[in-house]
Amino acid sequence: MFTMWSSLVDDDDDNRSSKRVSCSPSKSSTCSSHPPFSPSSPKKTMDEVWKDLSLSSLHHHSISTINNATANTHHAFRSTLLQDFLARPSNMDPLRTGTSTADPSSAGAATPFASPLPPPPTLLSLNSLPDFHCIDDTDPMKPHSHFHNNATAATPYMYPPFNVLAAASPAFPSFRKKRPRGSDDNSGDRRHKRLIKNRESAARSRARKQAYTNELELEVAHLIEENARLKRLQQKFCPEASAQLPKKHTLYRTSTAPF
Amino acid sequence: MPRERDPLVVGRVVGDVLDPFLRSITLRVTYNNREVANGCEFRPSQLVSQPRVDIGGDDLRTFYTLVMVDPDAPSPSNPNLREYLHWLVTDIPATTGANFGQEIVCYESPRPTAGIHRFVFVLFRQLGRQTVYAPGWRQNFNTRDFAELYNLGLPVAAVYFNCQREGGSGGRRS
Repeated sequence: MFTMWSSLVDDDDDNRSSKRVSCSPSKSSTCSSHPPFSPSSPKKTMDEVWKDLSLSSLHHHSISTINNATANTHHAFRSTLLQDFLARPSNMDPLRTGTSTADPSSAGAATPFASPLPPPPTLLSLNSLPDFHCIDDTDPMKPHSHFHNNATAATPYMYPPFNVLAAASPAFPSFRKKRPRGSDDNSGDRRHKRLIKNRESAARSRARKQAYTNELELEVAHLIEENARLKRLQQKFCPEASAQLPKKHTLYRTSTAPF
Repeated sequence: MPRERDPLVVGRVVGDVLDPFLRSITLRVTYNNREVANGCEFRPSQLVSQPRVDIGGDDLRTFYTLVMVDPDAPSPSNPNLREYLHWLVTDIPATTGANFGQEIVCYESPRPTAGIHRFVFVLFRQLGRQTVYAPGWRQNFNTRDFAELYNLGLPVAAVYFNCQREGGSGGRRS
């Protein structure tokens, strides 16, 4: 599957696969093996690429900043195919249900696309998008299951890039014409990206709140226990001290102000 | 499924930074007489100088390593510098504090610019006194790999807090 992935991305794949391989054992050793003046550039490139792909970035400029000029044509037919993909959502239903059940052996249309599925989680585990490896994680957070059940959720946006790339070489080997992108496509993507980011932020916020609440509950339980223990000790060693509670509960003067 | 209670798991510290572990040593981190409890919030102005760290245990001949990282650098929605190493102290004898150890990477005061970051203190038990080399840079530190590299095993204690920029208004309404 790694080889399929690297063969689809024809340019930079040597770079990328070597970077990926070298990054897999441990991040720190990778960093130390690279020249000191560009310690994090391989990882950044990989992250950038993955981020762009997984968030379904259809913007040429954001990808071409990483890749070289020959990649632009690559992204040209990526965008074209993606538009076709978006225009025919019904075709991709098998894919969606396939991904939601995490079953690579769903409908025929999904099978060639199913094989790139395993690499993304591995790829994800190497970089820094925590919420996206809820694909096969048992992440209890709600938005995770929501992704898979919601037909218009992130799922189509995570996998179409791979579909497109899978379809690219065999189906459209010489399709090189750039189609100008409409502004509504742009805002649609931006909206989706924003939606995903907002969901993640909301999930983090909920986790934060829940963690703090749990911690407080634990502390309260602990303090109650300690209080009881100390009271017992006090009673045992200083019985007269515990009898010093005020007996009278009526109001009375203690110290008065000079006026 | 029983609801997860451990704040370290709920706050995704176990997961993003650490593997699941059992606490066996007490770890108390105090900034200006305010103790750090999991998930509590501090502002950068309260974190300027290094905290007081007291560790438990019983045998002065056992040594511990303390790591302080920010897994949400530069921002929690885009943590591509995960984890950013803020402090690294080794050879801390049990029952003492961080100032009895060897400061390998000096304390850098947290100054998040975007979002609400988690800052995690992790304590590892050392097999013996050992030479630990400082990494070349603070960003993209990996606590798991570091522990594996120096045979530290699983953590024995951890605590984390949240921090946002001084003028930030995110998070809990207090």
